[in-house]
Amino acid sequence: MSVTASVLEGPRTVREPAVGAADGWTARVRDRLVDGVASAVGDLATGELVEVTLPLVRRAGSRPESLGLPDDPFAWKPAFVRRSLGLAAVQACADRRFRAPAEAVGPLAEHAVDEWRRTGRRTFHWEPWFAVLGTGARAMVLAEATTWASHLWASADWVGLGARARIGGADDLWTSPAPGTVRLKGRCEARVAPATGGSGTALVSVSPGSPSNRWEEELGYLALVASLRAPERPGPARVAGLWPDAGMRRTVDVDEALLSASVDRVVGAVSLVARARVTPEPASA
Amino acid sequence: MTTSDTSGGDRPGASRTHRAEQGSRGRVAWAPGWRPLAGSALLDRLRVTGRARPEADPALVADLRAHLGLDIGAGRPGPDGPVVVTGHRLTRALACAAHADPEGTDGREPTLALACGALMDVLFRQLVVTGSIGGAFDDGLDALSVDDRRLPLVAWIGALAPAERAGLRAEVDRQAEGLRLRWPALDPTWLPRTKECLRVPATDGGFELVARVDLAIGRPAVDEASVALVDVTSGVPRSAHVADRRFHALVETLRSGVPPFAVATYYTRTGELDVDPVTADVLVAAARRCRAGLGALVDPDAAPWTADDPTSACAACADGPLAVAVPREHEVPPPVPMAEVRVAADLDAVRVGGSMPFPEERAA
Repeated sequence: MSVTASVLEGPRTVREPAVGAADGWTARVRDRLVDGVASAVGDLATGELVEVTLPLVRRAGSRPESLGLPDDPFAWKPAFVRRSLGLAAVQACADRRFRAPAEAVGPLAEHAVDEWRRTGRRTFHWEPWFAVLGTGARAMVLAEATTWASHLWASADWVGLGARARIGGADDLWTSPAPGTVRLKGRCEARVAPATGGSGTALVSVSPGSPSNRWEEELGYLALVASLRAPERPGPARVAGLWPDAGMRRTVDVDEALLSASVDRVVGAVSLVARARVTPEPASA
Repeated sequence: MTTSDTSGGDRPGASRTHRAEQGSRGRVAWAPGWRPLAGSALLDRLRVTGRARPEADPALVADLRAHLGLDIGAGRPGPDGPVVVTGHRLTRALACAAHADPEGTDGREPTLALACGALMDVLFRQLVVTGSIGGAFDDGLDALSVDDRRLPLVAWIGALAPAERAGLRAEVDRQAEGLRLRWPALDPTWLPRTKECLRVPATDGGFELVARVDLAIGRPAVDEASVALVDVTSGVPRSAHVADRRFHALVETLRSGVPPFAVATYYTRTGELDVDPVTADVLVAAARRCRAGLGALVDPDAAPWTADDPTSACAACADGPLAVAVPREHEVPPPVPMAEVRVAADLDAVRVGGSMPFPEERAA
């Protein structure tokens, strides 16, 4: 399931460097999104936030009726820790501090807790929860992170990519200027810069399960948010998706058609969420 | 005729060293003096199967997919999504009327055996990841308590009568001690992964083969098998375990395009390790059983699978009378009965050589 070749080799769309006013198609995509979400929020009260994420976009496509259900109250669990700890483990292995994620997760978690106790600063968010867990529960957290990270670690030659690869990092965020508040959050697991100073990074996304039949638009969503977030910089040129459970990897080159399709998915999801909030019945597709 | 080298396993009844004697009606008795493998010997049993590691075989994978109808494109996901096909569901679907579970309780009502299994499950995971187990019973409860799905079981254990709880604790401590003494440390560079999820969706989304293996070792394969899969159980060996691990081999092969080189079941109760080297024949037999189970899942009223496979469809029947004597999941088995009468599980009836694993379909 190596992603290195798929990300770094083969034809790559050359993105225009400026996504703002000088950029034709990306600006058109942005306008399409702004208009679309303004219409989609419908009767939602001004200021009521709709936060769009890739899981929400997927859920709107596969289980729209679930959008009307109240969210469970948040409580930490091992599955919520595996990504952040797993990413840290992969980065530490890429930096040659550890040989493999199984070796890295324990020391990294302990270090994070120690730092939080010493300084009060959280490297992640889960340190206070992890700190009070018993031995067995901690082991489950580490086990989840190890399994998750091992897939990402084995998916590419991260050591070989060196500084070109940035593992983890902050989410991409973009907030619509239109009335109502729609915020798009894009979360990818890695960004890989082109080999020879070209423009356009490649995003790497890891997802559970298996790809839906609209996986291109879903990967395109990540490129969309990354493009909108920093319009002064070249947007992503390619997105690679990994579905370790299914042993699948797919890549898609970023162009106007892809981003437009992703915009339509976002607008559809926002519309369903807005309808679910306004009406008591579950939304339908 | 057998197609897999069960003699490569640690299971005393299957060993080439003739520690066991074949009894009547396929039963195998343990010979005295048998000791479970430990440390590097246990690891070698898993890693060295005595056979060449299988190579990537796209034609075989294509045949397996075709046999299972993964690419037909005729079905559609139901309102609740694709039909999820697991090894356990296949076993249930293929069970005969006498061993069926008409009430659908699925044997998942809390029992001492189920509690013991759940605790050993997380303790094995803990040992693999951290290399140690402290107070086994408490560590295990601790681990279960961070899994929402296990909270009812944790509450059930908490409500046990003192004597029952003490019995459970003693058995868990005993099995955990065996694990601690015997299970080898795994090199981190082998990428040991616990609770690895394997999925193979049908192209049309109508069903999905799903397995969750307790341990996967080895980097993802490219040209040659490099992965071994291990299931862990606290119960007694059963035919369903053989069927399960071979189903896992099938799903991993379909998932990655390369078979695992071995699938194994580790019994924490006794320290036994049953190992199947994965061959084309093993995969073909697993695919046949899977297809039969798929048919039964889709149409429960369909004629039972009788096929040519003498294992029959029902794993409980393959276990013989012992299956009745020691019902699965309903009691904690007694500790290490060295002279226990066991049943030789032989699901290797189907042997199809060469490159035409499903000749009847090729002919069609």
